[in-house]
Amino acid sequence: MQNPGEWTRPGGSFAVSCERVSYSYPGSGRPALSEVSLDLRQGEYVGVVGPNGGGKSTLVRLLNGLLRPESGRVLVTGRDPATEPFEVRKHLGVLFQNPENGLVAPFVEDDVAFGLENLGVPREEMLGRVARAVRAVGLEGYERREPHTLSGGEKQRVALAGLLAVEPEILVLDEPTSMLDTAGRREVLEYLQDLHSEKTVLHVTHHLEELTGADRILVLNGGELVADETPERFFSNADLLRENRLVLPVVPRLALKLGFPPAKLSTPEELAEAILARTQSGTRSR
Amino acid sequence: MKLELRDLRHVYARGTPFEVEALRGVSLVVEPKEVLAIVGGTGSGKSTLVQHMNLLLVPTSGQVLVDGADATTLRRSELRRRVGLVFQFPESALFAPTVEEDVAFAPRQLGLDEEEVRERVRQSLRALGAGHLAGRSPFALSGGEKRRAAIAGVLAMRPEVLVVDEPTAGLDPLSREELLDLILGLRESGVSVVLVSHDLDEVAEVADRVCVLHEGRVSAVGTPAEVFYGDPTQAPATVRVTSLLRGSRPEIGDPVRSQETLDALRALQGT
Repeated sequence: MQNPGEWTRPGGSFAVSCERVSYSYPGSGRPALSEVSLDLRQGEYVGVVGPNGGGKSTLVRLLNGLLRPESGRVLVTGRDPATEPFEVRKHLGVLFQNPENGLVAPFVEDDVAFGLENLGVPREEMLGRVARAVRAVGLEGYERREPHTLSGGEKQRVALAGLLAVEPEILVLDEPTSMLDTAGRREVLEYLQDLHSEKTVLHVTHHLEELTGADRILVLNGGELVADETPERFFSNADLLRENRLVLPVVPRLALKLGFPPAKLSTPEELAEAILARTQSGTRSR
Repeated sequence: MKLELRDLRHVYARGTPFEVEALRGVSLVVEPKEVLAIVGGTGSGKSTLVQHMNLLLVPTSGQVLVDGADATTLRRSELRRRVGLVFQFPESALFAPTVEEDVAFAPRQLGLDEEEVRERVRQSLRALGAGHLAGRSPFALSGGEKRRAAIAGVLAMRPEVLVVDEPTAGLDPLSREELLDLILGLRESGVSVVLVSHDLDEVAEVADRVCVLHEGRVSAVGTPAEVFYGDPTQAPATVRVTSLLRGSRPEIGDPVRSQETLDALRALQGT
């Protein structure tokens, strides 16, 4: 499709732009999202947090056109997902919460290739892309396994590989590590960090420690965007956390209670080092 | 109730090119009134193992014993009432028009009178802080609300052993803490809880014992302190902090829970 005027369209200079977007599920008394406005610049890594029922997954579904806003407007690279869902999905890929629901093919490699087949990618190129995606998520050797014999965490990686193979420039991740063990989570997060500069990422999570490296953190609660903060300000704002059913992860929480700035100390190594430095110097200032 | 697993082996798709040996000889006891956590990497066999606890999966070889009796000699319906299993993402099994009806489904199969069923539904939903959801459609709930509705359905059977597979995956941090409190409350009321989790930080807060699975075998079992200080690379954040300090400051001891750890660190700093 020709889009000569793409960059002059409203919202066209943003990867994603939402303008006073509202949505209510049929039969539900209160809106799942109300009047939410936000913009993602190209290459930004933005976290989304908030309580269950806060509107996070609804936002995700509006971005790829699974739901249409009741009012307001969503634009993804200048296109409206409600009217051009297939075009939008080439540019914006979603990893959904429960990996179980997305696996369709008899073998892992077919599943990873599924999205590419739908886009009509030539076979030679497809093989290369599938192999790269499988390697990226650490699933080499699993190509001929049947998805139903995999564990929850392995399925989550298959789903992520399928998304990466399509090579969208915007990734929307709805709790991408909820079923991964510590090692698997670290690998996937490192991979996502590597994408940081080349992709625009919207990362929905309940694990706040995953967002210490984000550019911004958005808080959705009761369908409203209640905060848009840098990680440093976010982690130090105890009231904001409490009001939104958020709990500091273990290390920043210990750090805070011991009188250290929580956002600076997110790993056990950093906290242990800070404690050693303080006890060795003998100063007990708090 | 004491649940004993003896030398369990399980092979998926036996005799096909896709054969996978998921369990390679696992022996483990679930003691009465304990919270036993089962941890291990993805694909280590955690979910396969717990599905043997009520014979949803039948072992390729080995035995499951309930208070010393071979579980295969019990009626399956009886076994499944006594050992309640909550799957990963249990919300995918919700089906009824209202949450209340969904939770009532299993106890109604027990042949209880309607008043008893209603009472159990009320209690289970209340235990999960989900009483306000009773009249709602399960399909219009958020992920965390659905999770609680699904767990309530299993609690309404009043199991003696509750097996929960990754119950907090996808829950917001406060809901996660509430669910962990519920697990501790169940233990107080005499129920044994088997918690499958990859989140070692939550295991640290609630487990009485920890069993580590690796490639279908038990690689460690014991108290959280024994297991986590035995291999601090596979330990919750609390133990990873303290084990880095123990070399120079051995007086810190072996705390695991976050409050214990905070107390130990404060003592170390002299604050």
